[in-house]
Amino acid sequence: MTIARLYLSNDTSSKAAGADRLAKLLEEPTDVQLVRTSSRGAFYLEPMIERDAPSGRVAWTNITEADLEHVLAGQGGVSIDSIPYLTRQTRVTFANFGITEPLALDEYQSRGGFKGLEAALAMAPEAIIQELKVSRLRGRGGAAFPVWSKWEAARQTDADQKYVVVNADEGDAGTYCDRMVMEGDPFRLIEGILICAHAIGAAKGYIYCRQEYPAAARVMRAAIQKADEAELLELDGRTFSIEVVLGAGSYVCGEETALLESLEGRRGIVRAKPPYPAVSGLYQRPTIVSNVLTFATLPSVLARGGAWYASLGTEGSRGTIALQIGGRVKQPGLVEVPFGMTLRQVLEEFGGGMAEGAKCKAVQVGGPLGSLFPESKLDIPICYDAFANAGAILGHGGIVVYDDSTDMVDLARHFMAFTSDESCGKCTPCRIGSVRSRELLELIQRGGAQASDLALLADLGDTMKATSLCALGGRAPYPVMTAMEHFAKEFSSKLMRQS
Amino acid sequence: MPHELIKPSRLALPPEANILRTLIAIQASDGYVPLETLPDIAARLGVTEADVAGVLTYYPDLRTTPPGRHVVRVCMGESCMANHCPAVLHAIEAYVRLKSGEKDGNTFTIEKVYCVGNCAVSPTVVVDQDVHGRVQPLEVPALLERYR
Repeated sequence: MTIARLYLSNDTSSKAAGADRLAKLLEEPTDVQLVRTSSRGAFYLEPMIERDAPSGRVAWTNITEADLEHVLAGQGGVSIDSIPYLTRQTRVTFANFGITEPLALDEYQSRGGFKGLEAALAMAPEAIIQELKVSRLRGRGGAAFPVWSKWEAARQTDADQKYVVVNADEGDAGTYCDRMVMEGDPFRLIEGILICAHAIGAAKGYIYCRQEYPAAARVMRAAIQKADEAELLELDGRTFSIEVVLGAGSYVCGEETALLESLEGRRGIVRAKPPYPAVSGLYQRPTIVSNVLTFATLPSVLARGGAWYASLGTEGSRGTIALQIGGRVKQPGLVEVPFGMTLRQVLEEFGGGMAEGAKCKAVQVGGPLGSLFPESKLDIPICYDAFANAGAILGHGGIVVYDDSTDMVDLARHFMAFTSDESCGKCTPCRIGSVRSRELLELIQRGGAQASDLALLADLGDTMKATSLCALGGRAPYPVMTAMEHFAKEFSSKLMRQS
Repeated sequence: MPHELIKPSRLALPPEANILRTLIAIQASDGYVPLETLPDIAARLGVTEADVAGVLTYYPDLRTTPPGRHVVRVCMGESCMANHCPAVLHAIEAYVRLKSGEKDGNTFTIEKVYCVGNCAVSPTVVVDQDVHGRVQPLEVPALLERYR
């Protein structure tokens, strides 16, 4: 009897699209071996089942229970290599996605896993930091700070203890690449943590994972245990311990100092900087706090060299970026490409245009604090500089497309209500500014506002931008201000008639 | 001891006296953190009741009252917003209101959540640990019926 080897993603979003229902049905046939992999990120095609074929994998996409007989009989299907959404990407950090079983350590190693750590261990810490300088890798969490610079500060600070902290509090709505990394390629994250620990001389690591990601926490804990059993956590003569710690639903805990407060068990309130965490972080010790994606990028940088990584992307934005397309597009999903494509290209070539019957009204990049772009402004290259010049942010790479049924005043109110809910309360501009802005937007919505209220809202926004302690208050006005700028009529039409 | 009073609380807290992790552990086993347990928690951790209450009230996911048998969380993140999640929320509220007169009225606790990272198959509804994607308002009754 020939056994058919089938591959089905075990990612949370794949399950939400119905993967588990199919998996249950595939338990029965005895001639089927089902492998639960990570997801390729082409979620618009899921649930999707793949089979081995002489020419590579073949996929059956958007399948229902009724389609299973074709899969089992090997009838139909499309070659993975014929799906432009996948072939047009440059997969570096996401090279294993859809191919391997997340917790299969041997598969990770056979595909080049732990080669980056191997290279790092053969280098002096200073040489690793130099390699990162050459790579020009910038933090992928949102602030885009040069990675080498933080590491150098932590390396050079004398302390009895240093820490590596993974920011896995992926709170920006519209982003999910950190979740995918933790659920889909956990050993890559572990490898990145170990590279950092070796470079700065840390002996303990934490993964601060948001509570909304239970599967990610589960997979990470299992992977840490496997790595420990395989003695892969042995670092510079001792065992490097990594602990997964859960958050409790506070968005601002994604800000690095609030995260550290939360990790220490207190209210997640932002600390004033300096001192920066690299000098005085967790329990006042030098601490590298970086995003999941930043750590997951390190193995490739070290294995293939900083110069190779720097050869990808644009002048100020080297390497690849993980974009997460969501909202009213035909083809939502994860896309990894070198920096430099325009937003319009990404939405057309990968997003596949708007969903059936929808017309594009606005595109938001960078989560709930990201600026809005009207349809006419989408020809902006996706890189840090172009976005900074436009007063926008790439943030964590989330792209959400809104259709023409969207009420921009209501959307602006939604953003400001979010900030007023999530403000930690430490600084006045954010704590009070967000509440007053929300109230003004509610007044506009009710038809009770005058033109002077719009001016007041803009003024409040400027104050928040200039004087807030962290990016939550400092960025919160941007989606509201850009909505007011690009959709001014929607706001003015709701003003009270002057008699 | 006046010097004790001015000592910043962060220095007074040893790493092991982790208030947040203690509260998360209590909620994981009991479903919520009863307010009457605060003095006991504070005493065991060697911190003040105000320290514990401060953490308990800061984090949206920590609750002080027991939830229903099933917690239904509706995602209000941007991708779900773009895909009209308010209509899904209304459908869920309508369903639960309709059923609340029945004897299992406390079956469901409805909460809003800001993104569970399921943006590519939105709108999203999470029932307990199950993430449901591409949820349409009309499918809500059948979806929740499975949990009653």
